[in-house]
Amino acid sequence: MEKVLVLMHTVEGALPPAALETLGLAQALGAAFDGAVVGAGAGAAAQSVSGGAAQVFAVEGDAFAQSRYATDAAACQALIQASGAQVVLAPGTMRFARALPGVAARLNGAVETHVVGLDESLNVRRWYYRQRMEATLARTARPWIIVVEPGSQPAAAAQAGAAAQTVAVSVETRTEVTGVVSPPADQQTIRPDAPLLLVAGAGWTKKQKDGATHTDEGGNLILNFVQRTQSSLGSSKSLVDLSGEGQAVLPFLTHLHQVGQTGSTPRHRKGLATCCHGEEPHVVGWRFISERRAVNLDAACGWARGKADVLYVADAFEVMRELEKLL
Amino acid sequence: MNPDTPLSIDAKPLDADIVCTGFGPAMGGFLTTLTRGLQEISETPIESRAMPGLPPQVICYERADDIAFGVSGVVTRARAIKDSFPELNPEEIPMSTRVKEEKLVYLLDPHGASRRPALMKLGDQVFRAVSGLLGLEHDGFELPYCPDFLHKKDGFIFSLGQFNQWVGQQVMMTGLAQIWPSTPVAAPLMEDGKVAGVVLAADGTEVRASLTVVGDGPVGQVSRKLDEQLGMPEGHRRDEWAVGMKMVVELPDHCELPEGLVFHTLGYPEPEIFGFFYVHPGRVASVGIFVPSWLESPVRTAYRYLQHFVQHPYLWRYLKGGRMRSWGAKSLLESGRRGEPFLAGDGFARIGENSGSTNVLTGSGVDEAWLTGTQLAEAVLEIYREGLPFTKESLEAKYVARRRASWLERESKVAENARNGFQRGVLQGFLGMGLAGLTGGGFFMPRPKHDAEPRKPEEFYVGRLSRSEIERAKARAEREGKPLHDQLMDLCGWPAIEYDGQLLVSHQDALLMGGKVQASGEFPNHVVFRQSQVCRTCETHLCVEICSGEAIHVSAEDPAGVPGFDREKCVHCGACLWNCPEANIEFTAAPGGLHSAEN
Amino acid sequence: MPYQIVVCGGLAPDPLQTLEPVTTPTGPGLKNEMMLPAVFDPWASHALYEAANLAKQHAGSTIKVVSLAPKAKLQQVMMTVAQKVPFELVPLDGPIGGFTDAASVAAALAEAIAAIPGLDHSQLLVFGGWESATRGAGAVMQMVGEKLGITEQFLAVDELQIDGGALVIKERIEGGRHQVSRCSAPPAVLAWATGNLPEPANHPQTGMANMRAMMPALQKAKPASLTTALTFAQVALPAVTRETRIVKDVPAADIAREIAEWIKQ
Repeated sequence: MEKVLVLMHTVEGALPPAALETLGLAQALGAAFDGAVVGAGAGAAAQSVSGGAAQVFAVEGDAFAQSRYATDAAACQALIQASGAQVVLAPGTMRFARALPGVAARLNGAVETHVVGLDESLNVRRWYYRQRMEATLARTARPWIIVVEPGSQPAAAAQAGAAAQTVAVSVETRTEVTGVVSPPADQQTIRPDAPLLLVAGAGWTKKQKDGATHTDEGGNLILNFVQRTQSSLGSSKSLVDLSGEGQAVLPFLTHLHQVGQTGSTPRHRKGLATCCHGEEPHVVGWRFISERRAVNLDAACGWARGKADVLYVADAFEVMRELEKLL
Repeated sequence: MNPDTPLSIDAKPLDADIVCTGFGPAMGGFLTTLTRGLQEISETPIESRAMPGLPPQVICYERADDIAFGVSGVVTRARAIKDSFPELNPEEIPMSTRVKEEKLVYLLDPHGASRRPALMKLGDQVFRAVSGLLGLEHDGFELPYCPDFLHKKDGFIFSLGQFNQWVGQQVMMTGLAQIWPSTPVAAPLMEDGKVAGVVLAADGTEVRASLTVVGDGPVGQVSRKLDEQLGMPEGHRRDEWAVGMKMVVELPDHCELPEGLVFHTLGYPEPEIFGFFYVHPGRVASVGIFVPSWLESPVRTAYRYLQHFVQHPYLWRYLKGGRMRSWGAKSLLESGRRGEPFLAGDGFARIGENSGSTNVLTGSGVDEAWLTGTQLAEAVLEIYREGLPFTKESLEAKYVARRRASWLERESKVAENARNGFQRGVLQGFLGMGLAGLTGGGFFMPRPKHDAEPRKPEEFYVGRLSRSEIERAKARAEREGKPLHDQLMDLCGWPAIEYDGQLLVSHQDALLMGGKVQASGEFPNHVVFRQSQVCRTCETHLCVEICSGEAIHVSAEDPAGVPGFDREKCVHCGACLWNCPEANIEFTAAPGGLHSAEN
Repeated sequence: MPYQIVVCGGLAPDPLQTLEPVTTPTGPGLKNEMMLPAVFDPWASHALYEAANLAKQHAGSTIKVVSLAPKAKLQQVMMTVAQKVPFELVPLDGPIGGFTDAASVAAALAEAIAAIPGLDHSQLLVFGGWESATRGAGAVMQMVGEKLGITEQFLAVDELQIDGGALVIKERIEGGRHQVSRCSAPPAVLAWATGNLPEPANHPQTGMANMRAMMPALQKAKPASLTTALTFAQVALPAVTRETRIVKDVPAADIAREIAEWIKQ
């Protein structure tokens, strides 16, 4: 087995779950591996998981505390070179998704992103065409940076060990990270770590049985449900588009909520789809939801049939009103 | 880098030489022939009159979002297409193959739910009684021969979307013509009774050209505006139509039908409805029906009938377990030569289906449309070479005369009265068609004084459903906000459709699975009901029943009044236009519609 | 100050089509690949609209779209895209599919960008989608940047504002949040998410103006040489069919109770 490096970064001084998942994948491969961490508190974080690793490296300092291409790419390049590993496993956080492809180009190596599986023979599994088909592939180019999709692997139990060797890196950049913008707390509806995803479809804005639209009530039902259950909110493209066109519909929806097609494919244990009607391209949005249920007026709905575990043929307004009383 | 690309452009008039509306087979024939002619090396190359020194500026505007989104498949003898492409190899065009075998099949009604004349019912009983002798299998009787006028042997099976794309790409790669999809044309630009170009719907741009080529199909906006302005030639009218609705089906593993096999069917789901089934390469088939304007049913619905058609035992044995890959519908102008408008005038010429080129006897339109395009292109090249203006006179001398002298005209005349009998009844229709076809148009059934029209439910279902049953069905349909056809067809004994999620799916799922329908937010609703009072007094609301996408629907606020319209479900088939008995529907130019490249 | 904006973008099957993988002599592909209606890649489209918006605000700015695709298909798609915003096309004739290697695509794009006459790094902004709807790797833009020597790079950008010559950029990060960065000056690579701009309406006149240079460019488009270092063992559709239990004609209150219990489990 070739030499493996598990490359990680810290978030606010600690390793994020995705880093521990990548470490878990390395352990499962059964090969000897190095560890490396970049970011604020990288040395301590590296030591906290260095049990089982042959060597551990860290790049830290103010310049590397920020998630930024120029500094991250330089740090990761230095760490990979310090280890000399041929195969690099790294978590597919936004920080590394930004930095690592360029590092592969610098090292004349290769990169694989959105990887959901890897076996001992280094066959990689990843999705193509927006999660519509899955490929198994291999490469000969080295170093090969394999960026692992968060949520796709079980996390490793951290085991402390030897102290990390600090790698010095100097780099110039014209970019400064000035802050993070979060939606107001009462409008926070995207929670990647929530156990439940609620998917709202365009049916919420359509005319209901009485011939009128009840978008305001629909919006309240959705928001109340999401806040009470602390679930994450996703939406079909058609509903997001309606919001984008300035129509008086669910003002809290943005493109960040969109799942499927050109949206995201979040990973949650459970998913509840409401008022969605569509076919396979939409369904890719909940491909990685383990338990799926749907509330829809159409028993033949392509969004649900054969894709959901349970389809409730019912008026989502009525069901959500009742749910509100119970939750 | 040159900072020369303009970053904002006003809607100033544009100048071109030839502006074309609609990209279908007629325009394909026109642009193929024209661009070839323009490429010919000559001592005096043809020059633009709008921009001297350049070749003629040829621009074609297509309403749909892609030139491959044609809602039709076709079995064609392809005589004119083969003249343009003598070496045509169907393997170059996806879904194309040669016709290898044709069968004409009479389908009996396994449910007894169709409205068959007594004589036909008797005939069916005889058929069944002697089925062993006749080779009747699965309620279908393969007629011993396919009349000569119907056959398509030595022809091709195409997906028209794929064929159009293949043609369009070649035309554009010459660099001598531009084809703009997603660009509906609002109207011809009329000046002093002459056509001076077109007006684009998006921003009102006037595109001025010395020749406007109108090939925008049976319900094209420019064609309709021209007819409004110019009227029709004496004695010509457009009163025969059909909705063609089809599916492209991935055949199940057990189906062993060979590619190139064609079934033409008659007799089912209603005696007036003709059907087709043909096999493309790669285990894919096109299956569909034509619902004609002479079907007097007040609740005619193509989708429900199509579902019964595919489940007819004769076809179902091949289709069961198959999967819908694509679906679509279009209007067919079936008036043929009797519906021919003024083919040319000062500054314009008309080609294709809207020019009355479809042959209703042979059931052929694509090849004829192609031919009209090539004829116009040859005429245009001559007009350029001879330095003539694009006047009515020169276009009639060069284009119309060519058309009159060709097989298109000869065959159109044979077909002209071939379908008169259907206005009297279905048996008279078949008789008249056979008579005209076999005598080369020498004999035909005379046209009745009054054409068949949709009737009131009480009249149409007389003897089958009571008035009270019909009233109850109406009340229920209104209450549920649904079209009436399902209620009445159920009452008449049509079995319920058991959805399998693959081939038999709800109408709404067909819109999603069969190609997906799009509507641009930039344009106003393209279907508008002109006077609400007319809808309120309308008893049938045939627009709701016939609508191919359930886009026109019973209004929740006003179930008996003006129907509702969901633009994002409209496939732009235009059936509402000719089904409204009061011509109360305005259908304006808009992009979007069905996104399928397989039809 | 004017910007030289280069937008990288390929083609993708119309997102509403049903896709199926097949094996071809040159590796995996899509069934009926050339038959599927194609669109300009959705995220690259957003990048293009953002580019047009930026160019409009900064007089003298230019937009070049560098695109790798079969040229006949590219021409067909450009007939729609060209109506949206003014730009020049730098076409590369090549394969359409998503199974090509990101690195070789990036090399071809970078080479084409480097060859643009009059390229001035002090004004250069390289735009693209954060990933494609085909390969979905999210890797090409960073590699293009590296090959052009641009180390100020941003991924999943939703907003760009110019503040006194500096680029103020919002990138998507985890949890529905945005990271805000300030980059003092070009050159920079911005790989866009959806941004905030709607799809522009079609302007036939813009299309006509674009097409004057686009037609000759397409006719002259040279084949891009792509190499691949990938070996595919298998490409397959997921087995998605589940046994769906259909609950019908049950009062909403009962359904709500069942769902509430399921959520609590």
